[in-house]
Amino acid sequence: MMDTKLLTLVGSGFAESLYMTFFATLFSYVIGLPIGLILAITSPEGIKPSREINFGLGAVVNFLRSVPFIILAVAIIPLTRLVTGTSIGSTAAIVPLVVAAAPLVARSVESSVKGVDSGVIEAARSMGATTWQIIKKVMLPEALPSLITGLASATITVLGFSAMAGAFGGGGLGAIAINYGYYRGQSDIMYVMVILLVLMVQIIQKIGDRMSVRVDKTIRESGSAAPEDNNTEH
Amino acid sequence: MADSINNIIQISGLRKVFSDGTKTVTALDGISLEVRQGEIFGIIGLSGAGKSTLVRCINLLETPTEGSVIVDGKDMASLNEADLLEARRKIGMIFQGFNLLQQRSALENVCFPLEIAGVKKEDAKVRAASLLETVGLGDRLDAYPSQLSGGMQQRVAIARALANEPKVLLCDEATSALDPKTTLQILELLQKINKEFGVTIVVITHEMKVIERICSRVAILAESRVVESGEVSEVFRHPKTSAAKQLIFPQGEKIETFRGGKRLLRLAFDGTTTDQPIVANMVLSCGEAVSILAADTKLIEGKTVGQMVLQLPENESAAERMLAYLDQENISYTEGE
Ligand SMILES: Nc1ncnc2c1ncn2[C@@H]1O[C@H](COP(=O)(O)OP(=O)(O)OP(=O)(O)O)[C@@H](O)[C@H]1O
Ligand SMILES: [Mg+2]
Repeated sequence: MMDTKLLTLVGSGFAESLYMTFFATLFSYVIGLPIGLILAITSPEGIKPSREINFGLGAVVNFLRSVPFIILAVAIIPLTRLVTGTSIGSTAAIVPLVVAAAPLVARSVESSVKGVDSGVIEAARSMGATTWQIIKKVMLPEALPSLITGLASATITVLGFSAMAGAFGGGGLGAIAINYGYYRGQSDIMYVMVILLVLMVQIIQKIGDRMSVRVDKTIRESGSAAPEDNNTEH
Repeated sequence: MADSINNIIQISGLRKVFSDGTKTVTALDGISLEVRQGEIFGIIGLSGAGKSTLVRCINLLETPTEGSVIVDGKDMASLNEADLLEARRKIGMIFQGFNLLQQRSALENVCFPLEIAGVKKEDAKVRAASLLETVGLGDRLDAYPSQLSGGMQQRVAIARALANEPKVLLCDEATSALDPKTTLQILELLQKINKEFGVTIVVITHEMKVIERICSRVAILAESRVVESGEVSEVFRHPKTSAAKQLIFPQGEKIETFRGGKRLLRLAFDGTTTDQPIVANMVLSCGEAVSILAADTKLIEGKTVGQMVLQLPENESAAERMLAYLDQENISYTEGE
């Protein structure tokens, strides 16, 4: 039964996994990025401190983060139906993936943005920058290398969740692994899926690390280190 | 005193209290001072005196608890949000840590405040390049901060602070992270900017040498208050408070410990007499030796001024003769027990 049948199976599973991971990650950022920014700027040491907003939003984020993914996915089936009209299939799986990953993304963005040197933000404030200008021109660009690293981690987490979603009709490599490997006892197929998942994780991590280093202007090849400051005035 | 019209910064009754629910810290306690148009004004104080808080109250990065800060005729605390942002663009600021955008090149860093102010990109680039030329970095426009030395980074920061043609430049420990040679170069640059662009400069520091080198007037900040202020030469020659003495003559504390009951004399030289061998002449004319416990003379605005601590001889009459000699030579001194 191997060869072509297996190949098409793997091909469609792979495509479904990519599809779920890509869109779930995308929507997680659509929701999580602004929330992360709000958490960072409303924190006590942020540029617009607000105990209420920070506490309220933080509580929601923490709550969602603490619910195990499988339980969350089951609990929000009504929401999933409402949004996608169904509760099975790859598209339906995107809803619980987003609900589970957006809070993680929010915390990851928050931590990246908080990593920006407060002195640089202070300098921008001293120049009369508005809050929005500081977010757009200081926080996000300065945090970019760290945001990219965070994006790679978030994508990997979503990929892992999506494999779990496969267990209850989500499709993708995870579903194949469960259906063939577990229910039908074809452990060789299960191993193939696991190896594919591991490879995907490795590739995403590598791409993330590469891009983060590439955009980071604080990492310079040692040949061009700062020369001595022997400038004299004329 | 100058009339207030010439004061570009006027601070009156400024208080700043930090409170985090349980405990409160009074960082500034009734500060009043004025900075004149076009001068380089120094604020010196030991760590924790409130210097950074004071300078941050000038551009309202910190909101005063009480009192007023008037910069270029504008009462900073009374401005609405938009006017405050506008006012800040006319007040440049540089920092101990340079605070450059790490992900932007030197040129892009200097463009930043211009972008903030809505200047067109091409115009901003032209202006930024000419400012970097002014600070001596015309050949490093595309370098990133990580590729520049500390002194160069501070030059970029200075160019950036000047981008919107500010009337005032605030410097919070701008040279404290630099070695002595680079410090001197940056101070020279600040002096040049003060002269050529007429920018009023406020220099915050804990280092005497910075004040001596470029400031015309100084305020000494100690424990949240201005304890002395005036012309640099005047304040440094005749420090009245212990805080001032400690800053100006840091060894003073140590000297007191080995005086062994004998009378101590603190001499102040005012620049007219240091080239004469005062102590040697005094010793010769009184026929009795003295111990020099400490000596510290400095160049202030081209005049040598300084202090010296002597231990007077046990012989009372010789000691009196020495005091008389100093009176006759017009050397001011203070006697310590
Ligand atoms: N945001 C803040 N919250 C609470 N206390 C503060 C805050 N900023 C400053 N302080 C306190 O105010 C006092 C003055 O601090 P400030 O930073 O102005 O001193 P400084 O003279 O600049 O010292 P240094 O030379 O160490 O920079 C200190 O006791 C400090 O702990
Ligand atoms: Mg300070």
